[in-house]
Amino acid sequence: MTITSFYYLLLVFGTVVIYYIVPKAGQWMCLLLASILFYFAAATPYTLVYVAISTIFAYLGTLYLESGKTAQNKRATYLALTGVLVNAFLWLVLKGSSFWIPVISLVGRIFPAMKDTGAISLIAALGMGYYTLQLIGYILDCYWGNCRPQKNIGKLFLFACYFPQMTSGPISRYSQLQDLYEKHAFCYENIAHGAQRILWGFLKKLVIAERAAIIVNEVWSDPGTYQGCYRWLVMLIFPIQMYADFSGAMDIVIGTSELFGIKLPENFNAPFFSRSLREFWQRWHITLGSWAKDYVLYPFLKSGFMVRLSKALKKKFGKKAGRFIATELGMLVLWTVLGLWHGAVKYVVGVNLWYWFVLMLSELCADRLKKLTSFFKINVRCIGWRMVQCFRIYIIFAVGSVFFRADSLAQGLEFFQGLPGVFAKGASGLSVFCVSFQEWTEGMGLAQKDIVIFLVAFALVLAADVLHEKAGSARAWVDRRALPLRWALWTALIFIVVIYGKYGMEYSSANFIYQAF
Amino acid sequence: MTRESTYERLNDVFRDVFDDEKIQICDETTSEDIEDWDSFEHINLVVAVEEEFHFKFPMGKVITMKNVGEMVDIIMEMGR
Repeated sequence: MTITSFYYLLLVFGTVVIYYIVPKAGQWMCLLLASILFYFAAATPYTLVYVAISTIFAYLGTLYLESGKTAQNKRATYLALTGVLVNAFLWLVLKGSSFWIPVISLVGRIFPAMKDTGAISLIAALGMGYYTLQLIGYILDCYWGNCRPQKNIGKLFLFACYFPQMTSGPISRYSQLQDLYEKHAFCYENIAHGAQRILWGFLKKLVIAERAAIIVNEVWSDPGTYQGCYRWLVMLIFPIQMYADFSGAMDIVIGTSELFGIKLPENFNAPFFSRSLREFWQRWHITLGSWAKDYVLYPFLKSGFMVRLSKALKKKFGKKAGRFIATELGMLVLWTVLGLWHGAVKYVVGVNLWYWFVLMLSELCADRLKKLTSFFKINVRCIGWRMVQCFRIYIIFAVGSVFFRADSLAQGLEFFQGLPGVFAKGASGLSVFCVSFQEWTEGMGLAQKDIVIFLVAFALVLAADVLHEKAGSARAWVDRRALPLRWALWTALIFIVVIYGKYGMEYSSANFIYQAF
Repeated sequence: MTRESTYERLNDVFRDVFDDEKIQICDETTSEDIEDWDSFEHINLVVAVEEEFHFKFPMGKVITMKNVGEMVDIIMEMGR
């Protein structure tokens, strides 16, 4: 059951009805039941045991911690540490299994009797990447005295498995989800806003992402045939697919939660308007970045070892360079953890090391670039220059995304080798300049009509992002329009999704990209 | 340690960390007011403050403090 399926909408509708009928004190239990039901429908049911184990250890880990105080005694510290370790260990064994394959095969080679060990494949729990981080964050927050430990294990379990965020996040902090336990009266605005947000997510996923996926999948299914400009096209289109797919999922998730009056943290903030890579990562998958900053980067940089190292570096290389090296070391750890979280070598090396490298380079060259722009008398505030900056970040992001899409690191590298090659499809040498645009795209499985729909829908999303940048919120802007205009807009959107969305019995909507984590 | 003397020492730390002799902090100063104060410089600042005032910030406070005023409160409570 994906979150674009009919059954998901049915589950949400049923839950909303019951949620507002039951006594308000029982609302959180209604959500817990719905979450368990969702788990049974969408995942391998027995994997719910893993979520339960993680929750139990998070509960035990915070048992002796007091609110507003850091851990008072050794017992509390050990328990918290155990809670974090068990959670991390479960994730590593079940989700990070791709890292174990070489280890297992090596063991098999040395001890032939153990060769079959590799055949035991464990199924990771749905949403493991998300709830594990949430629970680790929760334990650390309690440990640092930022929040009061939850004494009701059922409520903590709901925090871990709240169904809207089980498939693609966002990674919420415990303090951000207090709404889960509050009493919520029926409110028309919540229902309207939630439904609108879900509709917007459907547009992104079914109209935009699914169309882009056709071209992207076609080229990636047979990269040998598609060279040169085909690869350029796919490289440039994939970030749009990812954005429409992932942020579309977020719209559905956040919209669903809004129906219950529960506000989830935002995961995107018009990322394609970023003018530096650092800014981009503050606008893309926000909750993951901020989680890693607070729970990985800060503790690492503040550790005794790093403080001593950075002192030594400053002494040896001077204040500025020493600080630079120490910070970049911290960043390297941060990006490696982010890569590991995605769960394969290609993410660690291809995607995340690339971004780390560019970030470091931009830090190094910042001053020189400033001099260069002033030398050429470029007005850095003008719209043209801003667009150049945005486009530059888009390309840098697209390059890293190639490894996101590739099956392996090697396939990703091979993809780049074909970029400057012939501008032709296959060995026939049919040049792109000899065929019409229509033939060109149809060769990749997308009719011209679909291209137009894709472009129009993506323009709509960009327009909403512009409104978001200028007016704070696109929805608030729409809310301020006159009633007939508002209704016309939402009705039109419904029709666009129903008519042009890629869904239905014969069309099984592909899974969301970020569902894999 | 008075609030004024704390501010005097803290201001020097800020000027040193952000390499800007013009910085003048007050209770309401936040990362918005100082150009280079991003999430990475934040931790450098925290470590520098710890060194100057001989104490360790609780990790929770590193994440949650909202402005310089809150930082000074913590320093007054824990530093020397």
